[in-house]
Amino acid sequence: MPNVKPAMRVIYIPVLALFAAFLVVPLGILFVRSFQTSEGFNFANYLAVLSDQELLTSIGNSVKVSSLTAVITTILAFMLAYAVNCTRIYRPLKTVIKTGILLPMLLPTITYGFAIIYSFGNQGIITKIVGRNLVEIYGFNGLLMGYVMYTLPAAFLLINNSFKYIDKKYIVVSKLMGDGTIRSFKNTIIRPLVGTLGGAFVLSFILSFTDFGIPASVGGTYSVVATQLYQVMLGSIPNFNHGAAIAVVMLVPAVFGVLLLNYLEKLNFHYDKFGETELMPHKGRDIGFGLVSGAVLFVMLSVFAVMFVAPFVSSYPYDLTFTFKHFIDTFESSDLTAVYKNSLFVALLTAVFGTCIAFSAAVLNVRTAVKGKSSLDAVAMMTNTVPGMVLGLSYLLLFNGSSLKGTFAIIMLCNIVHFFTTPYLMAKNALSKMNPTWETTGELLGDSWLQTIRRVILPNSVSTVIEMFSYYFVNAMVTISGIIFLVTAQTSLVASKIKELQHFGKFNEIFMLSLLIFVTNIIVKLLCDYFQKRVSTQR
Amino acid sequence: MKKIKGIWLSLVALGVVLALAGCSSGEAAGGKVVIYTNGDEAASDAMASALDAAGYEDKYMLQSLGTSELGGKLMAEGDKIEADLVTMSSYFIESAQQEHEMFTDVSFGTEALEQHPAYYAPILANTGAIFVNTEVLKDKGLPMPTSLKDLAKPEFKGLVSIPNIMASSTGWLFVQAIISEYGEEEGQTVLQDLIANTGPHLESSGSGPIKKVQAGEVAVGFGLRYQAVVAKESGLPIEYVDPTEGNFSLTEAVAVVKKDEETTKLATEMAAVITKDAREELLEHYPVALYEGETVSAVNQPTHSKQFDQPLTVELLQQHQDFFKAAN
Repeated sequence: MPNVKPAMRVIYIPVLALFAAFLVVPLGILFVRSFQTSEGFNFANYLAVLSDQELLTSIGNSVKVSSLTAVITTILAFMLAYAVNCTRIYRPLKTVIKTGILLPMLLPTITYGFAIIYSFGNQGIITKIVGRNLVEIYGFNGLLMGYVMYTLPAAFLLINNSFKYIDKKYIVVSKLMGDGTIRSFKNTIIRPLVGTLGGAFVLSFILSFTDFGIPASVGGTYSVVATQLYQVMLGSIPNFNHGAAIAVVMLVPAVFGVLLLNYLEKLNFHYDKFGETELMPHKGRDIGFGLVSGAVLFVMLSVFAVMFVAPFVSSYPYDLTFTFKHFIDTFESSDLTAVYKNSLFVALLTAVFGTCIAFSAAVLNVRTAVKGKSSLDAVAMMTNTVPGMVLGLSYLLLFNGSSLKGTFAIIMLCNIVHFFTTPYLMAKNALSKMNPTWETTGELLGDSWLQTIRRVILPNSVSTVIEMFSYYFVNAMVTISGIIFLVTAQTSLVASKIKELQHFGKFNEIFMLSLLIFVTNIIVKLLCDYFQKRVSTQR
Repeated sequence: MKKIKGIWLSLVALGVVLALAGCSSGEAAGGKVVIYTNGDEAASDAMASALDAAGYEDKYMLQSLGTSELGGKLMAEGDKIEADLVTMSSYFIESAQQEHEMFTDVSFGTEALEQHPAYYAPILANTGAIFVNTEVLKDKGLPMPTSLKDLAKPEFKGLVSIPNIMASSTGWLFVQAIISEYGEEEGQTVLQDLIANTGPHLESSGSGPIKKVQAGEVAVGFGLRYQAVVAKESGLPIEYVDPTEGNFSLTEAVAVVKKDEETTKLATEMAAVITKDAREELLEHYPVALYEGETVSAVNQPTHSKQFDQPLTVELLQQHQDFFKAAN
């Protein structure tokens, strides 16, 4: 590791200042505001909030529906990951599962709600096909469905990744030693995965607990914390101090979740060596898992199918003649195209600057000896814990009177901070795998530290950088929880516009805009994949 | 490797260009008058076409918000609000003015039928009514309702949609009707049964119930009368019923927020255009005469027009919200 160079400080100080100004201070203000009342500082806000029966009910509801979501998601994600990794089902099907399951990530959560209404509602496509209502979708059931769809991709990625570190030879050995199915399953699959499964549970819980988009669309009268917070802040009789108190309450489960995640991390263990081992054939297993994954995929995709149907017929569900009318109307409305441009602009800049910041932070932490560099890990930990809505709210409280209010900059900063953890960890992971002596070699050859970064480190991490870019872009495009308190008429984004269109029940426009987001994200993903492939073939 | 550097450099260059573009477009938008409105689509359209016809195209930006959302913003932000011009339920404008003194006087020399303060001018009035999806009603074998009390009957369970007074001013219209007809005590029972029948179809938006009724999700709804008239005229199986408890109405008005001189001047000009030129179209959708010389067609005349016996204020709304909450 090279000695501390001035260049490192030049990068370190602004990065740290950024997080001080846009993470630590806003949250501090939020905390202070939660104790502020007309009679000075006391616990009155908390007392008021915690004695509000409606709010308590909504907290209870949130906990209930998020826990159940987490259980279902973890089980489903595990089964899908198992199907992909430990069965001999038809290979192309595995690829379809791996890609299909990730599709919801490319859409705002608020869209799922509407898709559910148009699929399972009284006049929904699936209701029509089946001939009767399958479930009552407003409230608990709708939330559950939406949350499971929302959290399944993330949980699947997590578990699927851990499966790669399981040595399948042990499964074969366990079988040969005469273990029963359950015992073998327990020892060779569940035991090594316990930490990850716990992690998937916590992740799904927190994601559901803090999401705003799904309850905003399909929550009905089943109130949850996120909608309560929104109502207290932007309802007819707003109370910022109460809002701050609710936001702090909302942080509690997230903090516990992160602590639990860290603990679970210790339960994980990796096999030192593992190779591709062909599993023993087992018809029953393969057919079973094939059916389960097929069913999950089918339900998920059929819910989204409505998005592609509704906007292209004249008057869903009464007149199903194909038409481009709504499509053309949407594009002729300069209002919506302006909003789309805003979104694109915000997502691109978030991705560019976010990637730069996350990469710089990772370089400083992994490849320098700058004093206090571990504070960056603390930052990543914090950004992982703070829900988007809470972050957005703290910005609203801090920057309300400032010139940052109502700018694109504040939205991008919120996104960059909100989604920092994952890209940062991606970069950290990639950088720590590189030869630690490159900087020294560079220096001996006469390159400055920055030159080494530019000539050696960066080119070797291009693939990761592209991945970081695409992560930031897609998330900035779909987020609504983070920015709902920050957008204005002039900085309106597609996801927040969808919430507005809900007011007028303009489902055609809603699905049209959702499709725009979806297609944009697909294109960005494909481009990123293409560049990544090109980079890897150049090696 | 060169290619990689190329990609990287072009990304950075793209970022810089976009950042510059962002700054300039930010300035361009800054020159526009921002209009916040709680009006429905029809109201927004009417205002936009009047403004466009008067030559203000591209000089304004119309932003729709829910009544409670906009009300919250007015009360919380005062004249620091992004909007230069606001169209909003008059009771909210009055309360915001009392709290922040945030509006300038407007006078356009038009003769309003009713007196109003100098800092706003009425642009439309909303009237509520019951509407039904006749097909669903027939399917379920239900009788045609004539009053709000009818909707509280057990046979309508799960088939009624009403707007929530906590989030929508349209919701206030039927709460007023219930209180004025049945008083606090009996009214509480009626409301309780009504909310029980509504179940998951309590809508946060005033346009929610008509959508639910149109989609056949429910048989009956309460909402803005004109929406049902329009739906029926467009050939949908929709019928509207004036409840025997009375058709109450709420006035929405336009007000100009105190900003720098130039913006306020332009905003005031636009407010004048909205009150004068948009009235004709607004009257089609919100058929309540507000100015001298206006008439409305028979189909849009509610049978049981009534006025509430107290002045409408945010405080009264709060009381009625509490009344509603107690019935939940």
